[in-house]
Amino acid sequence: MKKSLIFLVLVVLTAALIAGCAGQKAESVLDKIKTSGKVVVGTSADYAPYEFVDDAGKITGFDVELMEEIAKRMGVELVWTDMPFDSLIAAVQEGKIDMSISCFNYSEERDAQVDFSDAYYTSEDAFLVTEAFTGTITDPLQVAQYKIGVQSGTVQDDWVTTELIDAGLMPESNLSRYERVDQAALDLQSGRIDVLVADSVPAKAIIQQTGSLKIIYEGMLYTGPINIVLPEGDTALREEINKIIKELQGEGFIDALAVKYFSE
Amino acid sequence: MDFGRFIQYIASGTAYTLGVTLIALPSGLLIGLVLAFVAVYGGKVPGKIMDFYSTILRGIPPIVLLFILYFVMSGAINLSPFWAGSISLGIISSAYQLEIFRGAILSVSGEQMMAARAVGMSKMQAIRYVVLPQMIRLAIPSWSNEAAIVIKDSSLVYAIGVPEILRRAQLISASTQQPFLAYITAALIYFALVFITNRVLGRVERKLTIPANP
Repeated sequence: MKKSLIFLVLVVLTAALIAGCAGQKAESVLDKIKTSGKVVVGTSADYAPYEFVDDAGKITGFDVELMEEIAKRMGVELVWTDMPFDSLIAAVQEGKIDMSISCFNYSEERDAQVDFSDAYYTSEDAFLVTEAFTGTITDPLQVAQYKIGVQSGTVQDDWVTTELIDAGLMPESNLSRYERVDQAALDLQSGRIDVLVADSVPAKAIIQQTGSLKIIYEGMLYTGPINIVLPEGDTALREEINKIIKELQGEGFIDALAVKYFSE
Repeated sequence: MDFGRFIQYIASGTAYTLGVTLIALPSGLLIGLVLAFVAVYGGKVPGKIMDFYSTILRGIPPIVLLFILYFVMSGAINLSPFWAGSISLGIISSAYQLEIFRGAILSVSGEQMMAARAVGMSKMQAIRYVVLPQMIRLAIPSWSNEAAIVIKDSSLVYAIGVPEILRRAQLISASTQQPFLAYITAALIYFALVFITNRVLGRVERKLTIPANP
């Protein structure tokens, strides 16, 4: 029994090793996109107004329309793949999707795994509270005294973890990490958390939809430029995408989209 | 979004739920059944290997195997989310079904096998004509339990982006801020699927009951 157990473990490990080595591809994803005539893009369609599902059940939003224009200029068909936000980076890494646009901010940890395009927009963070909240926040670090909610895997999660928990300003038990930002908004309304830290644009969309929340602080923490996530080390693809983003910025296309989706 | 469209959006995920279930459950049945016979009649070493197979797989949460198959093994086999989900649920289910069928085979008394061999049947014939018809009947109640579990576990494939019932409920709840309605709809659809499956299997069980030996 013991011998066969060791043998099986060895077989599994070897298989995993082979699988790992076979995973390293040399050719550019750009060639694959051009030859197949389609680009597979991942997004997590639960982050209005960047990406969400409209009345007809179609994926739409700021990022979505932008990506559709980019695909059009690459001359290829666009195939959307929706998956939970924290699965997206792994999916790009493993080549399950060609790239991902889902309101990604730059971070060093992410950059070690994947590449980033040039920024196509700049976002801010917001602290969202209920109407009944009476405290004031002038310095973002003051938020450490409250129970905080974030979407897991986001840069806001990163900020709270690094600047507040690791810095010893608050216990980890006071932070709730949610799979999606709308779940966090529900817990905010029901009083399980005091402050929701999120990107300011979706935060404003949530205020509009619920009509019962407010923002007490707005500013840049770890957020800032948002980028498209691309496979690691794929220079040809990155240059192509950056070229198109530059074109679209020059033509005012992105500004027009921002007005369409972000103006209240 | 109007109510009808809301419900319809979530309900259209049922096709994926059924698809995953209809691949996972029968493949688990086929593998589980064969392996159960190997485990009982295959001798010492194959029996040990079957033990190992079922112990390992029943010890892995389905979602972990799903991530391994979809993300970790992607260099060797490039599976679509749908197939990665269906296959991993099928593999896990095969281990549970192996145990269900092993138990059912063992409840058919060993003397029947001896008697069948004594009247000149081969081991395969004895399995085919004596043991199998009895054990299938014995296995149906616990098997319908497993069927219900696979239907519900199929919701896990949302994690790699299959737009089934749960993922659709999440998306619509995010865009409309109506989580109660979204998840109640999802719950009712799952309930209906499991309820119908159990009813059908209950009927099959009654049909197959041997009148003289209830």
